[in-house]
Amino acid sequence: MRTVTRHQIQTVVNGEPTSVEVEPNDVLLDVLRTALGVKSPKIGCERGDCGSCTVLLDGRTVRSCLVLAVEADAHEITTVEGIEHDGLTAVQEMLIEQSSFQCGFCAPGIVLAAAELIELVPRPTADEVREAIAGNLCRCTGYESIVDAVLAATGSGTSATSRGASS
Amino acid sequence: MTGRHYVGSREPRIDGRDKVSGAAHFVDDLEFGPDLLHAAVVESPHAHARIVAIDTAAAAAMPGVVAVVTGADFPFTFGLYMKDRYVFAQDRVRFVGEQVAAVVARDPAAAKRAAAAIEVTYDELPAVLDVERAMADDADLIHPDLGEYPHVPWFFPRGGTNVAHWRKIRKGDPEAGFAEADVVLEDTYTVPRYAHCAIEPHVVVAQQDHAGRLTVWTASQSPYIQRDLFADALGPLGLTHHDIRVITPYVGGGFGGKAGVTMEIIGAALATAVKGHPVKLRWTREQEFYNTYQRQGLVARLKVGAKADGTITAIEHVLEWDAGAYVEYGANVVNAAGLSATGPYRIPNVSIDSVCIYTNLPPGGPYRGFGYSEFHFGLESHMTRLAQQLGIDPVEFRRINAITEDDTLPYGRAMNASGLREAIDRTAAAIDWGTDAESPDPRTRIGKGFALFWKAPAMPPNASSAAFLKFNEDGSINITVSGMEIGQGYLTVMAQIAAEVLGVPPSKIRVETPDTDRNPYEWQTVASHVTWSCGNAVLAAAGEARDRIFEVVRRARGYDPSTLYLEDEKVKCTEVPELQLPLSDLVTSGLAMEDGTWRGGPIVGSGTYMPEFTSALSNPETGQGGHPNVHYTTGAAGVVLEVDLETGRMKVRKVALAVDAGRAINPTMVEGQITGGVLQGLATVLYEDMRFDDEGRLRNPNFTDYKIPTSLDTPDVVIPIIVEVPQPDGPFGARGVGEHTMIPAAPMVANAVADATGLRVTSMPITAEKVALAMLAAST
Amino acid sequence: MTIAHGFDYVRPATLDAALACLASDGSRVLAGGTDIVPWLRDDLIEPEVLVDIKAIPDLGQISVTDGRLILGALVTFSDLIESDVVRDAAPALVEMAHQVASVGVRNRATIVGNLCAAVPSLDAGPVLMVYDATVEVARTGGVRSVPLVEWFVGPKETQLAAGEMVTGVTLHLPAVEHAAVFLKLARYSGEDLAQANLAILLTAEHDCRLAFGAVAPVPFRAAAIEAVLCGNALTDEVIADARALVAGSISPISDVRASAEYRTHMCAVMVERGLRAVASRLAGDGPPYPTHLI
Repeated sequence: MRTVTRHQIQTVVNGEPTSVEVEPNDVLLDVLRTALGVKSPKIGCERGDCGSCTVLLDGRTVRSCLVLAVEADAHEITTVEGIEHDGLTAVQEMLIEQSSFQCGFCAPGIVLAAAELIELVPRPTADEVREAIAGNLCRCTGYESIVDAVLAATGSGTSATSRGASS
Repeated sequence: MTGRHYVGSREPRIDGRDKVSGAAHFVDDLEFGPDLLHAAVVESPHAHARIVAIDTAAAAAMPGVVAVVTGADFPFTFGLYMKDRYVFAQDRVRFVGEQVAAVVARDPAAAKRAAAAIEVTYDELPAVLDVERAMADDADLIHPDLGEYPHVPWFFPRGGTNVAHWRKIRKGDPEAGFAEADVVLEDTYTVPRYAHCAIEPHVVVAQQDHAGRLTVWTASQSPYIQRDLFADALGPLGLTHHDIRVITPYVGGGFGGKAGVTMEIIGAALATAVKGHPVKLRWTREQEFYNTYQRQGLVARLKVGAKADGTITAIEHVLEWDAGAYVEYGANVVNAAGLSATGPYRIPNVSIDSVCIYTNLPPGGPYRGFGYSEFHFGLESHMTRLAQQLGIDPVEFRRINAITEDDTLPYGRAMNASGLREAIDRTAAAIDWGTDAESPDPRTRIGKGFALFWKAPAMPPNASSAAFLKFNEDGSINITVSGMEIGQGYLTVMAQIAAEVLGVPPSKIRVETPDTDRNPYEWQTVASHVTWSCGNAVLAAAGEARDRIFEVVRRARGYDPSTLYLEDEKVKCTEVPELQLPLSDLVTSGLAMEDGTWRGGPIVGSGTYMPEFTSALSNPETGQGGHPNVHYTTGAAGVVLEVDLETGRMKVRKVALAVDAGRAINPTMVEGQITGGVLQGLATVLYEDMRFDDEGRLRNPNFTDYKIPTSLDTPDVVIPIIVEVPQPDGPFGARGVGEHTMIPAAPMVANAVADATGLRVTSMPITAEKVALAMLAAST
Repeated sequence: MTIAHGFDYVRPATLDAALACLASDGSRVLAGGTDIVPWLRDDLIEPEVLVDIKAIPDLGQISVTDGRLILGALVTFSDLIESDVVRDAAPALVEMAHQVASVGVRNRATIVGNLCAAVPSLDAGPVLMVYDATVEVARTGGVRSVPLVEWFVGPKETQLAAGEMVTGVTLHLPAVEHAAVFLKLARYSGEDLAQANLAILLTAEHDCRLAFGAVAPVPFRAAAIEAVLCGNALTDEVIADARALVAGSISPISDVRASAEYRTHMCAVMVERGLRAVASRLAGDGPPYPTHLI
């Protein structure tokens, strides 16, 4: 085992300036979860396929399992814990109201993917919402309840899934 | 009594805020401090081999390594229904990926490096990779000791063969039935293996403290089963139920994959090797695919006869299951399917053989649908084909033969009341069955497909549930139960049941996730039974609490309890409208008397439920004489599918699915099960399957090549339809719906593809590639 | 699973400094990391040092000069989607980028990284090839420009030599009116690696260029098919002639993603549908960019 140079990295995590020592082979996801105690980014596949580890890096979604922690030096990281300092976002409130999630493991990543989209496109279409969250796998819901809530929260109508056909 | 009703109401999930805010903690999110150790497992590269030697010396000497263990350290077996599985492989390995040894180290990288340094010498044996080979007269035996394994009394293993269990059902006279049929259709249908793909991988953290107590935190559907199997398997080390505690926080999806015990036994065992330290083992996504449970593969040979008027006269159904290297749980999937492989039809003459066959592939086990998805593919394809051969509309054919409560089940008991007929009618209407849809695109055709489904919970006859309930000072409530919130909305539904009884809104009720030291017993969260079974326990606990409240009010205020009721968080009286006693005034403090003394005390309640009419004992040759299933949930589904004739690519334009929930405690949760289950089912037919190479190695153990749907791969429209024909012994009439919603997806798509293209596909999956190549072959 | 292999990390501030770092054995460029990090985790590569080029100015440039669209080594797939310059100059790049992975990967993954990873299914290859792209390579003391059609040596192998790095890729835009299409065959609409992909560029002067990916060890221009298309209007007959040449032009394998038989069949279908789409785009009534054309 070779000796490697450790790096003291300076980042802003959920609005707070943070300094942490990492090795070059430390992955951002692991450093967030272990060294920094930020637990909402989840370990789902560790190869960039599932989106559970999504964080915002300078406002854009990235798979934190595909980013070395040392690369985050001098950058800003936001997770669902820090997305809104005063309560929850309108999308989050609608996701709660409509019971959009089931097991909830994918929820932090999807909330961030939706937040990035709305920053770029304040009133997205259903297709735009679907594309924005397409990298975040959810095995429970069939997605429609999530797409519906994002559309409802942004005032963009509903997707095609029929509701209320129950007796 | 005009207050709010909470049963039947679209209450928001009580765990919604936890999950959407990031507050929800899963096992891997729990903190264990700097003493936490990390484990890595050494896996078999062979499907079948003898272990000749294991050299751990180099690994043990590596920096950061705390312990190295092998099968010699834990020569123990375990299993839910049959003890055929090993904590670590002993003399032989039986599938690629089986755990052979493990390293516990200070950090994950050290564990990974040391595991790679363990050298295992193998002597390869012939691998048995399919059921045909496994059933051959000269087949190599995967479990030479099969005849010695302990198992439940309803299994019939055949020692000296690869048959771990053979469920037979014989009813009526099939030969006579086929003789009176005007049409008899025979074919074989094949279903590959599938993966659950919960997004949270399996994780276990275990710690045996210096006093000997073993605490295990798991991502599990089955905390009590886990405690039981840990105590059984590790009993030789002196551990008892009293010494073991299993804690399960939120779980990131289960679908059956986190039922029973799989990798958790490794964590529990390792903790005993590094006493004092918590040790964590987290499966990688790859391990998640090949070393938990897989949905079993199936070859189904089906023969059904019917008269010209559409009446089905007989069925012969032979189900050969590729159950994998260990069947401790999977054999019960085989059993459950065998009991019900007629589907929801009135069939007087029945012959079913459901055969559990060992192979050198990863262990099979429970997967949402529990065998029913697999046999419905062939059965519901067959019913459409048979109807067409008779010249009868496939939906009408199903109406003619749909089972009712006047009919008997394959094992001879009466069918329960069900809304199957209503489900058929409403589904057919929702997809405009009977009208042809024209595609505006000349390259595509639109087809429609229809399928029925049914499923009963598969449980031991004494599977039971329990609930504790307590009031807090402010009139809020905590309920402890040991069912798992795996996404289905269980916590919310339990809260709604208590809310309905106690007049307290669900938003003021916490339902706690399991801790076997504190929460009462639950068999496990499988079989779509917790709304029904644990719901009954919560109903009883809430009723007991209510009765205690009324008793306090009687003793302190003199009201007749029969005139009291609970509404809007108050005790009220039908005779005295002025009585508006807030629950918070009495549920912990009791009520004050004029002399300054108090009556009552903290209000608590407990409840249990066990069905006392079920029995798994029956004639092994006929399956008659027992009462293995509590009831069946039924339904119907239909699809409108657009197929590109040249590329084979399919677009699901519409799905309607009707399920008889008995009583939907929360319609939003039921609809969630429908939209989610439909997509999971569609994925098994359109996109997914496990691919093994000719050495038994899984070729696609990742989401790169095992394609679970994204938000871009959903149907255009899903129409959830809730039918409510009450289940008499269910809480407020409820019965389970969780698994059922994925069962009809595969056959309805097969039927729609046939409708659109004229091609009948009898093997799953039905990918674009398969359709395109079949169209190409048909055109040349 | 954690990355067990240890390595050093440097983040030079200039191209010269980066090239100096890359002169040492075992060095490797790190840009988006979306391929490199999984390779590290799976022990597929064991570098001594990773040279992170993200602090080097100007490598993120997107510009058009003298009929050349220049994309720096740090241009991500999301940058392509969001760039007005790209949308105007080469909208087929946007069509391609929309079909690469998903947003969280596209925000990080670079088009140059895609060329350097050089997996047979890469989506950037065919579309850049129909724009006669060149790969811009620098080393200490010099630069060279490699035509993309010569860049790929084999699966995961390129012409890049030790001590070199790619600074960008240049598209040579046709001077005359033209249109292009990118078609990606995948197992479903969500994120997937290509079973086959195809780019076609058609000019108003009947120059037609056609490149395949994922159906040979490396992406390639299909010269025989181009020969029957160039100089001709895309009549049904010409399209049928082109389609008939597909099977002889490609050399697909059967793997876990598709059989060779299906890839062959679908490449023919894609050529026909792609030609019709590109012709209608050139005529001004085709599907908008971006569209999933298959």
